[in-house]
Amino acid sequence: MTTAAAKEIFMESTPQNAAALPWLADAAAFDKEKSADWVRALRATGAESFARTGLPTPAWEGWQYLNLRPLSSMAFHYAAGPVVFDAAKIPAPLLGQHRVVLVNGQYQPKLSSLPPHVTVMSLMEAAEKKIPGLQDHLVRLGDLAATPMMALNSAYLRDGMVLIVDKNKDVEVPVEVLFYNSGDGAAIYPRVAYLLGENSGLTIIERHMGEGAYFANAFIAVGQESASRFRYYRFQDESGKSSHFSYLDAQLKKDTSFEGFSLSTGAGICRQECRLQLLDRGISSNIGGIYLMKGQQGHDFSVVADHFEPGGASAQHFRGVVDDKARAVYQGKIHVRRNAQKTDGYQSHHALLLSDQAEASVKPELEIYADDVKCSHGATSGHLDPVALFYLRSRGIPAKEAKALLVQSFLAEALKQITYQPIENICAERVAAWLAGRGI
Amino acid sequence: MLKIENLHVTANARPVLKGLSLSIGAGEVHAIMGPNGSGKSTLSYVLAGRDGYEVTEGSVTFMGQNLLDMVPEDRAALGFFLAFQYPVEIPGVSSTTFLKTALNALRKKRGEKELEPVNFLKLQKEKMALLGMDAEMMKRGVNVGFSGGEKKRNEVLQMAMLEPKMCVMDETDSGLDIDALKVVSDGVNAMRGKDRSFLVITHYQRLLDHIKPDFVHVLANGKIQKSGGPELALILEEKGYAEFYGAGEAA
Repeated sequence: MTTAAAKEIFMESTPQNAAALPWLADAAAFDKEKSADWVRALRATGAESFARTGLPTPAWEGWQYLNLRPLSSMAFHYAAGPVVFDAAKIPAPLLGQHRVVLVNGQYQPKLSSLPPHVTVMSLMEAAEKKIPGLQDHLVRLGDLAATPMMALNSAYLRDGMVLIVDKNKDVEVPVEVLFYNSGDGAAIYPRVAYLLGENSGLTIIERHMGEGAYFANAFIAVGQESASRFRYYRFQDESGKSSHFSYLDAQLKKDTSFEGFSLSTGAGICRQECRLQLLDRGISSNIGGIYLMKGQQGHDFSVVADHFEPGGASAQHFRGVVDDKARAVYQGKIHVRRNAQKTDGYQSHHALLLSDQAEASVKPELEIYADDVKCSHGATSGHLDPVALFYLRSRGIPAKEAKALLVQSFLAEALKQITYQPIENICAERVAAWLAGRGI
Repeated sequence: MLKIENLHVTANARPVLKGLSLSIGAGEVHAIMGPNGSGKSTLSYVLAGRDGYEVTEGSVTFMGQNLLDMVPEDRAALGFFLAFQYPVEIPGVSSTTFLKTALNALRKKRGEKELEPVNFLKLQKEKMALLGMDAEMMKRGVNVGFSGGEKKRNEVLQMAMLEPKMCVMDETDSGLDIDALKVVSDGVNAMRGKDRSFLVITHYQRLLDHIKPDFVHVLANGKIQKSGGPELALILEEKGYAEFYGAGEAA
């Protein structure tokens, strides 16, 4: 289907799609651009799908808890031209010197610097070069009708980049990927692919940040060839007025390892969705995160570990702190297919509520079709223990400091999962800074 | 040092202490004995400043100041210490971090400089050796995975490190075997001095064989029913608390 044909569907305004149409209006700009056939086709499929569904409502499976209503009262626009920005506002890298910069989703080669054995190009350049496997990772998305944010991202398929690691190379230095976003009302749709060659290793530090009331909706594809090792760290520091949606889809092949950790403090509305596909034998994945929420922030971690073959291990360790009237959601699922015997699956989520109006909604799920597996989960939510607080104060530790110590110790259990020490340290510093900013 | 006068305390809308008076001078060791539910733990928590207890009448003066007006951390800074009957587990905070934070908070409040990390560790090592504690324990979360006896040793270690002037020990002997009881008591005895006072709360005479009190009080029905010398503990051990229930009812 072409964009024009898709447009016919959503040009017929019906009560169902009336709200969806404004979101797609700017995609018409792509009609004049020359693009690869599959790119055009994916845009059209995405647009068509989103025109039918619109944004998810609380009636949707998996979207019951996060409040998206504030989005419907705002108008967002995608800017087709090159983004204009003030380079002075781009912060220095968190660690080391290698990085890739995307401004409003657009790859900035002049601001980027790469270590040996790593290649980066813009998404459109990669599409033209017909990089093997790329199309697979970017097109094979599953059911777009069930993932409207991804459908919307597909309708605007253009910005973003592809990062490739040569096979048999361990890139020892971390590479930062900075998503810098700005502009009130800007709609930003980056699509990024990390492709790790056989037996390669890579550490990525993603930072999502910016200024203004924008809407960022990213799709991240991870393709790991056999025996590759990926450490993926993410800092979600988006502007408080913005919305952040991201969908990470990782296809993990034989004997690979995936470690992911996300520290999330920013954005008014944030949903970080993740699907790990353990496609072969001998795969281990460990994904975790911490969220720190205040005011009226809404935050959602939705994670699926999908085991296809025997002998895989997947773990999920999430913890968060919710203050004021903020609302947190965790939806975690371990899906063990019929063939995936001897799977070892674990998931945990613990929320600490610092105010009476803070909320945490938790949905742990095990969906198991194999009979010889070990899967478990643990979930709690509660307030700071007044007895522990008293114990610390009775030893002379002032109330504020005692509270901070308890929150830090609560979060430390999740931070322990991070194997790369500098990142664990930065996370601990961020936690301390967040607490200090709250007067705790 | 500590003067409690006519203290009335309500917990969960139920009167627990009903006019308790007790005066402890500098360097003295007092023991309070009493049956379950007599108000022993309530007394220790009220003195330390735990929430959930309402003082309806009476006063507590410590080092010449109104103790009841202070938040718990200020009481600690003034030199008050409670060894808990049930020490609290705090996963994620190592015992060393906890102690260092506490000690430096106290020093800061007293206008002293923070202790150099090297000196802190030296001091901690010294006190731990005295209590027969293993260095490995201090790397773990506070009281996490500790046995009952280890938790009590840890309380006494904190007391030894923080060097309070008034130590209230709430059933420190419970959960201790004979050997541990001796080690812990030796640790306490080493701290005795003319400027430091102790209030030892216990059910049993056993502890008082090791920590010899100057005065023994019987607490029943929310009041001190009888006071005397160490010999009183021996009488209680033999005869039990029965006669004091009666006295309490009559009062």
